[in-house]
Amino acid sequence: MFRPRWWRGLFARVTLAYAIGSLLLSVGVAVFSYTLVAERLLTETDNTAQEQVWLNSTDIQKRLQNTKSLTEEELDELVLDWLADDFRTSNLGDSIVIPSDGKKRSTLLEADIPSDVRSAVQEGEIVQKRYLGKTDQGDIAKLYIIGVPLIDANAEYYEVVPYAPLEKTLGDFRNILTGVAFISSIFGAVLGYYAARQAVAPVSRISNAAESIAAGDFDTRLDMEVDPDLSALSKSFNEMVEQLSFRIERDERFASDVSHELRSPLMTLAASVEVLERRKDSLPEVAQQAVTLLSDDLTRFQNLVQDLLEISRLDAGAVQLQLSPFLLREFLENIIAQSKNPGIELLFEEEDNDLAIKADKRRLAQVITNLIENGAKYGEGITEITFQGIDEDVQITVEDKGPGILPEDRMRVFERFGRISSDAGKRASGTGVGLGLSLVSEHVRAHGGQVWVTDRIDGHHGARFVVELPVRMEEHNDEEMAV
Amino acid sequence: MDVGTKILTVEDDERIRQAVTLALEEEGWDVIEAGTGESALEQFTATPADVVLIDIMLPGIDGFEVCRSIRRASDVPIIMVTARADTHDVVAGLEAGADDYLTKPFAPKELSARIRAMLRRARSTEPGELERIKIGELEISADEGLVLKSGEELHLTKTEFKLLVELASQPGKVFSREVLLERVWGYDYFGDGRLVDVHVRRLRTKVESDPASPRYVVTSRGLGYKLQP
Repeated sequence: MFRPRWWRGLFARVTLAYAIGSLLLSVGVAVFSYTLVAERLLTETDNTAQEQVWLNSTDIQKRLQNTKSLTEEELDELVLDWLADDFRTSNLGDSIVIPSDGKKRSTLLEADIPSDVRSAVQEGEIVQKRYLGKTDQGDIAKLYIIGVPLIDANAEYYEVVPYAPLEKTLGDFRNILTGVAFISSIFGAVLGYYAARQAVAPVSRISNAAESIAAGDFDTRLDMEVDPDLSALSKSFNEMVEQLSFRIERDERFASDVSHELRSPLMTLAASVEVLERRKDSLPEVAQQAVTLLSDDLTRFQNLVQDLLEISRLDAGAVQLQLSPFLLREFLENIIAQSKNPGIELLFEEEDNDLAIKADKRRLAQVITNLIENGAKYGEGITEITFQGIDEDVQITVEDKGPGILPEDRMRVFERFGRISSDAGKRASGTGVGLGLSLVSEHVRAHGGQVWVTDRIDGHHGARFVVELPVRMEEHNDEEMAV
Repeated sequence: MDVGTKILTVEDDERIRQAVTLALEEEGWDVIEAGTGESALEQFTATPADVVLIDIMLPGIDGFEVCRSIRRASDVPIIMVTARADTHDVVAGLEAGADDYLTKPFAPKELSARIRAMLRRARSTEPGELERIKIGELEISADEGLVLKSGEELHLTKTEFKLLVELASQPGKVFSREVLLERVWGYDYFGDGRLVDVHVRRLRTKVESDPASPRYVVTSRGLGYKLQP
């Protein structure tokens, strides 16, 4: 059987789509706002640094003018004093000053100066650059460097600004945005779930309605006012049910009309033929023969009509079983006695002597009688009937001593008018109309049981029909029965 | 056969009525015909019949109503004719007061057998055997056709009476539906058990103080009924 995968279902798809959609949306918004904010903050940091560097560079240039005569120590002191002062005031990052002697002096530990920045500054350019470099703490981080040539003093001044504090802020921001994206996609999924439920609700209403119609409740209709978008569907669905039940009713009516129409003339015929039968002795011999023929075929005709009506009622689904409890042994004994077939043996285990079942007696009688008649007609007579209680089921077998039934015909015999191929000397089609066994199978099915046919299992040739019915009654204490 | 036993046949199809009348007269019964429910009630008031045969599919007053009307006035045996055996019609007809039913088309011979069974008196073959049975407040006199409860006479139909007498013949013993069908209605094993069930139900409304929890006519094992001594 085809089983749709769960994720192909409307429900799962809508939920998933909502979740993915809201995830994408919130991720998009997050990325966008993060980029915007980050760039803003970086630029601001850069600008602050630039302003400070501009002020600083003017200041240091002034101080470094006319310092050619100073010793290295004096120069150190001058620059370091300024740097300390500068650090206190600007507190940007690492300030590096390289006076005319080319010796690097910095506020903290020496930070790297990228060589391309250095050479550009030495050529007299003002340079700014973001790069990855070693910080004053010694690890690699994102840094911003501004290099200013102090041309008048023949010196260089660099300011290396770490982005670390900013990075931390941005990191927090990133976490918050991720959280928001996560939460909103969960919200999306929940929303999708409810949306899907809303969308699927009418479908499940329709499917429920269809199920109850299939179960035979033709009064089921869909409410029209539920949803204007779906009212067209509801309308056509209801119309379909209307049409369907109309047709079924028409068929049922036809069946019952036919039955009534056939019944009345049959009634008249039966009563009249009976009068003729009673007065047969006073008729000429030819007329007597005619009356006998008429009477016999009237009986056949009545049986045929009854079978046809039974079948048409089964088709209309109008069958209600008339269940009553009875003893299976007694029932089968009576069937056999009535069948005028004294050769049939009834076999059962001692423990099944009082096996009680609850079934439609008339129908079950027809089942067994039809099997016996079928055996008499095609199977050279029934040899034995057995019954047995198996858990909640009872099993009845009917065996004949005919040629058996070919495996390929074993399903077909239960079809209507399903006479089978008479090849290889197997059972030939006889005079009966092939409704008997199909009625057997319909009645058994109406009881929730099954019927099948095999070869006899005792080695002799012949067919073995098995009827299995879930109709066993639970055991009771024995009581004295009046007989 | 009782000479002059009158059978009222209610059937709207004239041809069927004619044929059935012909066949019944051949069997030796006197037949009174009625084509509608109205004329059936008139006929019955004018000449009370010994057995009534009613087709439930009648124009105008339907068979159920005819059955109820007759039952209000009389305990005459009534046989219903229904279209099918497996409908609610059967139970509805029995509850309307019918004693037995036949499905169309039936053989008039079968109808005659049913009529004879209806007319057979309860336990008439063994007179004197159960002159009076007393069970609790119930007192059954088979010969007189009387049932007393606390000294007051109960009005049972003939079939209800036969059923009660049959159960009373062996108080405490369980009678299967099949046995009761044979003894009360004259059916073989394959009679319709609903006949017994509906009549037991009707009998209980008359003999029991609380028909919902019967004291006398008790269901046993689901397989049958017994009269609780």
